[in-house]
Amino acid sequence: MLKRMTRLVSGARQLDPGRLLHGGPQAPQSLAAHPDNQVPDGSPRAVSCTSEGDPVRTFNEACLMVRRPALELLRYLKNTNFAHPAVRYVLYGEKGTGKTLSLCHVIHFCAKQDWLILHIPDAHLWVKNCRDLLQSTYNKQRFDQPVEASSWLKNFKTANERFLSQIKVQEKYVWNKRESTEKGRPLGEVVEQGLTRVRNATDAVGIVLKELKSQSRLGAFRLLVAVDGVNALWGRTTLKREDKSPVAPEELALVHSVRKMVRNDWHGGAIVLTLSQTGSLFKPRKAYLPQELLGKEGFDALDPFIPILVSNYSPKEFESCIQYYLENSWLQHEKAHTEEGKKELLFLSNANPGQLERLCAYL
Amino acid sequence: MTHRFRTLRSLFLISRSGTPRAAFLGSSWPAKMAAPVGKAARGWSVLALGLRSVVPRLPGLTQVRWSRYGPEYKDPQIDKEYYRKPLAELTEEEKYEQELRKIQLIKAAPAAKTSSVFEDPVISKFTNMMMKGGNKVLARSLMTQTLEAVKRKQFEKYHAASAQEQATIERNPYTIFHQALKNCEPVIGLVPILRGGHFYQVPVPLPDRRRRFLAMKWMITECREKKHRRMLMPEKLSHELLEAFHNQGPVVKKKQDMHKMAEANRALAHYRWW
Repeated sequence: MLKRMTRLVSGARQLDPGRLLHGGPQAPQSLAAHPDNQVPDGSPRAVSCTSEGDPVRTFNEACLMVRRPALELLRYLKNTNFAHPAVRYVLYGEKGTGKTLSLCHVIHFCAKQDWLILHIPDAHLWVKNCRDLLQSTYNKQRFDQPVEASSWLKNFKTANERFLSQIKVQEKYVWNKRESTEKGRPLGEVVEQGLTRVRNATDAVGIVLKELKSQSRLGAFRLLVAVDGVNALWGRTTLKREDKSPVAPEELALVHSVRKMVRNDWHGGAIVLTLSQTGSLFKPRKAYLPQELLGKEGFDALDPFIPILVSNYSPKEFESCIQYYLENSWLQHEKAHTEEGKKELLFLSNANPGQLERLCAYL
Repeated sequence: MTHRFRTLRSLFLISRSGTPRAAFLGSSWPAKMAAPVGKAARGWSVLALGLRSVVPRLPGLTQVRWSRYGPEYKDPQIDKEYYRKPLAELTEEEKYEQELRKIQLIKAAPAAKTSSVFEDPVISKFTNMMMKGGNKVLARSLMTQTLEAVKRKQFEKYHAASAQEQATIERNPYTIFHQALKNCEPVIGLVPILRGGHFYQVPVPLPDRRRRFLAMKWMITECREKKHRRMLMPEKLSHELLEAFHNQGPVVKKKQDMHKMAEANRALAHYRWW
């Protein structure tokens, strides 16, 4: 589950693309926003973190470990046939094994390849703890979530600045009596409208998704839809109406638009999804399989998909993770350098990446 | 009861009416005789063999806070290295000891004591002192979050500093913790002594364990009371530890105040008879 998206101004060292392609175990932690020669220096990039502390402030860098599930996904993405409908890839696994960071790796790769990234950092945040639910202007049955929609629009804008001026809207959209977006205007205007008029933010999100879906088949850009915690879209919500009756997820406009996006009735891109029990509602703690977390409705909606299991560290990965921590002097305890200490860490964490990170935080 | 009576190694006894009273057994009472008192029993079990029956039964008083283990029970050996030594390397004494342990009765090891390489008795003691209502899980998580907070703050400072300063910045949270507590330990303490109907604050040298206790107690009290309502304990504690590490902050000030008061009262030092 992603905690937040932070901006990262590029200033880290240059990443050699070869490092990503070889299977060599590299470093863990969150997404690398290394600038390459193609990207101009100083351009801000949105970065997503899973851990409590910001690795950039702690290590002055942000690194990812290259692992098997991510490499598998990258291979599939490289061999995608964009004439066929978008393939859905679902990353699943137990808690703390690295699903979110594998997703981040894939997003980073696609961003380097100049795909348009549609990234929802945590779908669970949209179905719980929402202060203001407005009745949707577009469809009276549904609910709007202005805060979540506007924050998503902000992140979308940061991530895909270049495309916002290139893609043109194919219909006229009337916001209210005074404002409307004409046909042929750049998509950036829709996003601006959503950001300035927060009441229309949810509708702006819906429009953006619709436009991108219809225009991806034209081939001007390749679209990557990345959703973390996709099981939130088909579960239950903890939101209630004024009369305290529960709200179903399909009654939320944001969820409705993303569900349409995740259907494989478009081509010209790929859909990468992650299941997550951590932020999920009303699901048992030990559940990690797609059938358990998605439920019948969700599984049928996503079927067929390619499941990719993300598991705990292999011995080599574990060793390299410890080496990374030792190189950065993150493991300060004097016994952590010894064989005894490493064996104990392996035993205590069971090679689970999340647990290992929490252990090494205070050692 | 105050620590002073523990120093004199008195027994804690309760009368039939149920109120605890410390029984003074005279200043010349040897320290060994305190074996029946729970915590002191461990170190003196060998010497206290058979001494339990010699404890004078004062009429109307029964013992409280005693260990259920008899004096024949030995402490458990938790150290892994002790058992890993191959047979050839052991000296005669150690071989005899190992044989003896097979027959002797051994106490159960406490749940909090592990053979982990990362275990630290000072940290364990501090965690126990922070614990409220037996909630060790919470106390331990607060401790680990504090250590992590200290580490992160130091790392930030490290990256912001120039190359020369980087050598001086200490990033190990454990060394910072130990040094901070050492800096907070008072050398001399004040004890109320009754003379002529009045209590006088007499300066007294403190034993090691009392000093460590006071340092930890002051640190925890400071962090619990003098913080904003919404501030979390790890945040406040990490801040105080870092200040104490640099010999600044309210806890070190309290120690210095204690020293100043002891210096001011040094005329009363002759009231002390031990």
